Amino acid sequence: MERKRFLKQGMAALGIAFVTPMTACKKNDATTDNSENGGTEGTGSETCAVAPTETEGPYPSKNPSAYVRSDITDGRSGYKLTVNITIGKVSNNCSPLEGAVVDVWHCDADGNYSEYSSGSTSLHFLRGRQTTDAGGLVTFTTIFPGWYQGRATHIHVHVFNASGTSLKVTQIAFPENSGSALLTVNGYNKGMKGYTYNAQDNVFADDTTGVEIATVTGNTTNGFSLVHNINVP
Amino acid sequence: MYRKVITLCYRKIIDARSPGRWEKLVFEDSYAEFLIQSQLYNPEKKYTRFSDMLQYAPGAEKLHFLVSASVINYVKPLNNRMPDITNNLGKSFLHFQHYFFEIINSDIRDRLVHSIAINFCSSPLIWHDTVGDYLLLSEKKDNTLEEVQTDILQLRPFLSIHSLQTEQYD
Repeated sequence: MERKRFLKQGMAALGIAFVTPMTACKKNDATTDNSENGGTEGTGSETCAVAPTETEGPYPSKNPSAYVRSDITDGRSGYKLTVNITIGKVSNNCSPLEGAVVDVWHCDADGNYSEYSSGSTSLHFLRGRQTTDAGGLVTFTTIFPGWYQGRATHIHVHVFNASGTSLKVTQIAFPENSGSALLTVNGYNKGMKGYTYNAQDNVFADDTTGVEIATVTGNTTNGFSLVHNINVP
Repeated sequence: MYRKVITLCYRKIIDARSPGRWEKLVFEDSYAEFLIQSQLYNPEKKYTRFSDMLQYAPGAEKLHFLVSASVINYVKPLNNRMPDITNNLGKSFLHFQHYFFEIINSDIRDRLVHSIAINFCSSPLIWHDTVGDYLLLSEKKDNTLEEVQTDILQLRPFLSIHSLQTEQYD
């Protein structure tokens, strides 16, 4: 019972549920309960009809979570970064996993995450959610992350199956070689003094094979592109 | 001359018993987001109650913020109009300047426990006088000489004067 219920609710919150604005309702749906929408629906049975007049909102229609968007920049300044993550399923020979829900979040150029500030409207910058396509791919447009004390530059990733059950919580690391994007960005205004490199990072230090390190290309003029594969159980 | 400038805050509580389609959508989607986000702090599902997660799972207090994303697209269509609160004529007149989401309680196995609050805080108002049980209010304007449109409001449960400032003007 719980799983079935979760499936339904999880799909809704993940933006998988259909958003059904009033204007998209069929006539028969609309005539059953006008009070909830604060007005009347169309009365004509033809598709060519003057749109009905409505009182001013709110219009309570199903809305996706604010996380569901591909561009997660939210006005944060920094070098453009396109993030391409493919999800593979180990139990299926690492073939692309379609329909997986991928949450990403990372800090801004100054090393700050979006979170509650005292008493103010919450800001959800640099956080997003997408669903993998047939190739297991999700794409986000964001900025190159900054860094903060004690951590190497990274992007958080949480992968769920289509019903919202967690499959993997992980992080993406950045290459640090000479000429790398990381060294080119140079910590924005901060520089790299005091930076924690991957080998000393308490999350990435044990990644001896570099499986958590993405491929990052590009430049500060045209922006950077990150490509990474994550395999889940 | 002095005048009192106040802000009002309305704590709108939504749970499984809340009537209204808007409230039900907020309830369902905030619960679904809670189920999703809580897995980050409770991966083995060791705790079922939000209150236990807060006490024993480090970082679980961030769930207030993380789950709040599920209601943003429901609050936006309000166009900053404070819900439920009306003047003595029964008309909506307050506008909220900001809002703050909180999880009161929840349970990953029992949706009936799920309860949230959205705290809507108004833009600054002039508190001119108190008439019986009612506050005589108007929108704060810099020009103190012109005639202002006033509203009369009775305080009710979950509606409070959030801040008070005494301003001097000529």
